[in-house]
Amino acid sequence: MPEGILCNKTPVDTVEQLQALLADKSGKQYYEEMKLLDVDTPALWATIQKSLKSRLRTWLEICARCGMCADSCFFYLANDRDPTQVPSYKIQSTLGDMVRRKGKVDNAFMHYAMDTAWSRCTCCNRCGMYCPFGIDMGVMFSYLRGLLFSQGFVPWELKIGSGMHRIYRAQMDVTTDDWVETCGWMCEEYEEDWPGLEFPVDKPNADIIYTVNAREVKHYPEDLAEAAILFHLAGENWTVPSEGWEETSLAMFAGDWVGCKKQVESVYAAMERLKPKRMVVTECGHAYRATVIEGPYWAGLKTGQTPVESFHYVEWVAEALRTGKLKIDPAKRIKEPVTYQDSCNYIRNAGLRECAREIMSYIAEDFREMRPCGEHNFCCGGGGGLNGIGRYREQRNVGLKVKRDQILATGAKLVVSPCHNCWDAIRDLEEIYHIGIRWSFLKPLLLKMVIVPEHLRPEE
Amino acid sequence: MPTVEFSGKSFSVDEDGFIDDYKNWSEEWVQYVKAQEGIDELNDEHKKVIEVLREYYEKNGIAPMVRVLSKVTGFKLKHIYELFPSGPGKGACKMAGLPKPTGCV
Repeated sequence: MPEGILCNKTPVDTVEQLQALLADKSGKQYYEEMKLLDVDTPALWATIQKSLKSRLRTWLEICARCGMCADSCFFYLANDRDPTQVPSYKIQSTLGDMVRRKGKVDNAFMHYAMDTAWSRCTCCNRCGMYCPFGIDMGVMFSYLRGLLFSQGFVPWELKIGSGMHRIYRAQMDVTTDDWVETCGWMCEEYEEDWPGLEFPVDKPNADIIYTVNAREVKHYPEDLAEAAILFHLAGENWTVPSEGWEETSLAMFAGDWVGCKKQVESVYAAMERLKPKRMVVTECGHAYRATVIEGPYWAGLKTGQTPVESFHYVEWVAEALRTGKLKIDPAKRIKEPVTYQDSCNYIRNAGLRECAREIMSYIAEDFREMRPCGEHNFCCGGGGGLNGIGRYREQRNVGLKVKRDQILATGAKLVVSPCHNCWDAIRDLEEIYHIGIRWSFLKPLLLKMVIVPEHLRPEE
Repeated sequence: MPTVEFSGKSFSVDEDGFIDDYKNWSEEWVQYVKAQEGIDELNDEHKKVIEVLREYYEKNGIAPMVRVLSKVTGFKLKHIYELFPSGPGKGACKMAGLPKPTGCV
């Protein structure tokens, strides 16, 4: 049973394993080893028997192959209605066949299943809204990813990502000290412009515990500063935890079920330890999905809820504008046409459509909806981990055409995108197709138009 | 693997346009990325950032946090963005010949 040095069935749990993978630029050796990786079919079948529950079994059996899901999938539309891109075909030819063959599949099958699970589905869950039976291929592909991960058939970047979570409880190599130091540093850099600015760490019983995406700490710390400034202006009693601050989950994208559980438990432990009234997560879609929607089940919480009530950043912004905690200077509202990218993970999966519209009504004078929009919106084109997988860049570029055309049809040159994944996908879309657009999170836009109370202004 | 030609040199790049092998980095690569990133003129501060990134990568096999970059160079965050408008994680790493950082970047 050949197991590679880098590509194997063992998850990454040590810094040494992680460094070996990182040193293999673009996973060249990793993917060569994958070509020889055996499938442990008895173990695969045992996992399926143990974990394939009645809902998924029923879905696989009752799918009528009616094709109603076809037009719901942006990959199908972007690939000239290629029949092999029909969601039901994609799941039946992978998970369906794997189950029907009782796990007796070979290396070539696993390669096909991996390429399909990560480059032909972003787990956006749109198909589930159009299937007459409510079959959700996104849910099934997430499950299939777990089976593939257990056998070592997972894209190189996501093996690294899940390993990061296991080692650092963050998707990047950011330690507790790194994180706390970065918070202090952001305070230092911005307090001149924002007197009294604080970045409270581990404050018990705060009204809000704020959690983030590790990339903000590692590569984009200004995002942290902007969040702190807006909480400061709104007069919030808030804090961040020194541990359990990372809400994202590349482990979820990788199908690393053990890693998923470890990650969310660190966030829940911070909630239990600091006892805040509620949790607010940064402008990230999958972080919210992982920690607020899926996480309680991974952690085995019987309530199906996070230990304290949890909110996406757009919910906090909508509330702050509605209650007047943040006030917009009418003269500074966005005048140009502007559109909004609905993130699958908190609009479709958590019903936050109206929060987004409410925010736009405060900040924009010419808001233009994409069509379709809200819970019917198409995935940005980079969800489910696809943004970060080099092996599938070409397929991603093709898929991005759907979002490109949606944006172009609005006539807007500015896209508000309160989700890191969507933000990246739209940036890459512009890099490839040059349609002349700009994109932004909410925080920098709000900072340009919010009225600063007199007592918080810097002295002249 | 795609290649790019610049100033008589040929570079293999990955699917995101990052240099394929850290060891193939050269002054011509820096000039190539400079044009791509819309940077008018490279000064000693750009060079300092590149030097720090490369030193850190050689030692640790991964790009540093912005905090580390700021501490070692003594540059404020805003200034790093003035030097590399597409950000330290993307433009600066690309110019320094580091691989594209993994994860959500």
